[in-house]
Amino acid sequence: MGYNLLEALNVQIVGSGDRYLVLAHGLGTDQSVWQRILPLFTPSYRIILYDLVCAGSVNPDYFDFTRYTTLDPYVDDLLNILKSLGVDSCAYVGHSVSAMIGILASIRRPQLFSKLILIGASPRFLNDEDYHGGFEQGEIEKVFSAMEANYEAWVNGFAPLAVGADVPTAVREFSRTLFNMRPDISLFVSRTVFNSDLRGVLGLVRVPCCVIQTARDVSVPASVAEYLRSHLGGRTTVEILRTEGHLPHLTVPALLSQVLRRALSR
Amino acid sequence: MAVTSSDTHFLDIPDVVLTIIFSLVADTRTRNAMSLVCLKWHLLERSTRKSLTLRGNVRDLFLLPTCFRAVTDLDLSLLSPWGHPLLDSFPNPLLLAQFLRHAFPSVVSLTVYVRNPSTLHLLAPQWPDLRHIKLIRWHQRLPTLPLGIEFVALFEHCRMLSSLDVSHFHCWTEDLPPAIQAYPMLAASLSQLNILKHSSVEGFKSHELLAITASCPNLRELLATCIFDHRFVGFVSDETLLALASNCPSLSLLHLVDATSLSNVRPDLNDDGYTSEDASISRSILCDVFAGLPLLEVLVLDVCHNVRDAWPALELLNSKCPRLKSLKLGQFHGICSGVDSRPDGIALCHGLESLSIKNSADLTDNSLEAISLGCPKLSKFEVLGCKKISAKGIRKLTHVLRNTLVDVKISSCKNLNVVSLLQTMEPIRDRIERLHIDCVWKNADNSVKQTASSNGETRLKKKNKSRDNSFCSRTWSKLQHLSLWIAVGDCSGERRPCTGSLGLRYLARYPSLSRMLLDCSGVIGYGLTAPPGYPDLSLWERFFLYGIENLNLNELNYWPAQDMDVNQRSLFLPAAALLAQCGSLRKLFIHGTANEHFMMFLLRIPTLRDVQLREDYYPAPENDMCTEMRAESCRRFEDALKSINRHIPD
Repeated sequence: MGYNLLEALNVQIVGSGDRYLVLAHGLGTDQSVWQRILPLFTPSYRIILYDLVCAGSVNPDYFDFTRYTTLDPYVDDLLNILKSLGVDSCAYVGHSVSAMIGILASIRRPQLFSKLILIGASPRFLNDEDYHGGFEQGEIEKVFSAMEANYEAWVNGFAPLAVGADVPTAVREFSRTLFNMRPDISLFVSRTVFNSDLRGVLGLVRVPCCVIQTARDVSVPASVAEYLRSHLGGRTTVEILRTEGHLPHLTVPALLSQVLRRALSR
Repeated sequence: MAVTSSDTHFLDIPDVVLTIIFSLVADTRTRNAMSLVCLKWHLLERSTRKSLTLRGNVRDLFLLPTCFRAVTDLDLSLLSPWGHPLLDSFPNPLLLAQFLRHAFPSVVSLTVYVRNPSTLHLLAPQWPDLRHIKLIRWHQRLPTLPLGIEFVALFEHCRMLSSLDVSHFHCWTEDLPPAIQAYPMLAASLSQLNILKHSSVEGFKSHELLAITASCPNLRELLATCIFDHRFVGFVSDETLLALASNCPSLSLLHLVDATSLSNVRPDLNDDGYTSEDASISRSILCDVFAGLPLLEVLVLDVCHNVRDAWPALELLNSKCPRLKSLKLGQFHGICSGVDSRPDGIALCHGLESLSIKNSADLTDNSLEAISLGCPKLSKFEVLGCKKISAKGIRKLTHVLRNTLVDVKISSCKNLNVVSLLQTMEPIRDRIERLHIDCVWKNADNSVKQTASSNGETRLKKKNKSRDNSFCSRTWSKLQHLSLWIAVGDCSGERRPCTGSLGLRYLARYPSLSRMLLDCSGVIGYGLTAPPGYPDLSLWERFFLYGIENLNLNELNYWPAQDMDVNQRSLFLPAAALLAQCGSLRKLFIHGTANEHFMMFLLRIPTLRDVQLREDYYPAPENDMCTEMRAESCRRFEDALKSINRHIPD
């Protein structure tokens, strides 16, 4: 590795309390998305925040293209951080891709996580025969061609200009965050995410889970929340937030905090 | 062929004279070049450099050059990382404060970013002879601080202070009066006080203003935000104004600005141009106030609530304040009727050189004519939000004042559009140096640019040497500073900005355009969180900045559009990408935030040498968890910028 993981991924611990809480952000954002949620939990938890290696806020030199080819190295990073901090047990809140990472992490280290809270989560984004993940093949192709156009431009010294608004409306809100990173990293990470399929391992999760979904997140259909509830191995509840959008921690922090508090107390 | 018998060389000039010549040179790059000529010039330049702005990372402070010992005016507010507490990251901050003093022993004027009181506790004792200080803070004042503690730290050590500027310093209005009252000798010798708070929307209450001015009887310059709305506690009344005039009779410069005037929103007036509430200021009291301030040279009364029938007081202004050269009035009505083409009201102030009229509902073309006849010395004229004037009136004015006008600003006057406005400038085209106009295209014979729709506005200011007008073919030979306000329309539903863009590429025809201020902060939208059907700001960035790479810009100040929901003004991918294409940029200042991935795009610009993220808007984002504020990211970027691998051509 050759660098200090805690520094590289901007690991911070804030708050005071006897229990640990990990807040893990999704693609295209960084730990600052939690800033409106934080004040409500700092009195009662020691909160651990970090940035994913692909986040725009992390030195892009740390993104090893040979290493981060699947979600497993991201899980390694999370587990290494918790090990370095000496954490034996924590609750975990993960948004979007971090929800996927949390699921995989708890399968590997079942004793480590007391509760998994999954916001805007999906085990697989691409639609399948009987499964509605939210993205049609054609829509994914549009997303990738926008990313590829950016990559081409960037590599050749031109300006990468494709943004979230250039993809089909149905998947726009989710995709918008994908363009908030360097073009080569975005393309690579998007491929990783769209190639991931966690449906087969959901049953291996033993930890209690809470799936939080907004009433209308176009690219994560309501059926996905139900799918998760019925396939996750531990005791799982579903909470639907009466709002729209893929980033409830930014748009409705107060509402989300209420739901989080409830979920953490059970 | 005749040969001069004495080969007098520049260096034969006596040192004393050379020193005077050098001290007259103000431009920094010129000075830097001069100091490279020879050792003597180097020493001369250093000994005559009076003013210095420190840039660079505070972590490198030990590398501070000590050759600038003659500097009297020092600006520390732009050190990197911008907005961080100045010396807090050091184990021994006192040592560094002393080092600053050692490097700059002659400083009498200081500008410094004060994130928390420790900065003042460390720096104020280093320069006890300080005469002028400007404090800057766009972050919020910590609520736990005792009242006035920062001012006390300052006043305790800098007893010779005569000028204090807190216009960009966020603090509570209650902080200043107790500190001023605790140091009566300092207060009595204060001659300049700027409490016109741009950094928040609070105004000083009447009793606070009076407490301050009562302690500072020798004030010559006072700029303050206050409250003219009588529905609020502490509003400025007749009594306040009278007391103020009697507290500070030596005032030569007075700005009283209503706090609502400083928010960047265009005024919300009824159809006739009047506000719903009147100010509680009677014109007879105004007469008494003017009588009490005979030394007045510059007066700004930006009231934001109607002051009706003001002409008697204004006529008196001429005799009571004979030195008055510059006047700005906001929401004053009845200032000049211009009936029978005879000068009346404000047009009787014939000594005026600068006049700015804002939101005067009954200002007509006749008024303008009367003003132009009555104020023959006017070199600067501004009119904002006056609904009754037309191009005819402006044309009359520019014609009459064609030998004196050099600075004109016309904004938000609904009868005026760009084409007719430019025609009104005809008489002064060859001499005008600074111009601001709104680019409103309705009712105009538009053949040049189309603008798309969005509910925001952008303000494009630029510096230019010559402008070849697309409507007429004469050149504006003296124009140095051009400012345009461009309405970008209205954004609803799925409409995207048209790919034609803002027309920045049209500016490529002005090759000497080297400095630009592009202010898109009036555009409000959504960054990452746009609800379905709402376009996001990254799309707008593509629209604003498209074409910017065609310009030969050396210096750019960019204010990104705002996502007000999450208090974010940030660069997204298109902005970083398009800015990175500006091959000639040397300096780039972004008044907002940007993540590390996007900042690194900028390293592609070969000539880039000075970049900073300055969140100089209120409230500046507080949280250090925000990527863009991280000291480490800043350090990495600046190191990369400075690295020797980058060969900068000049």
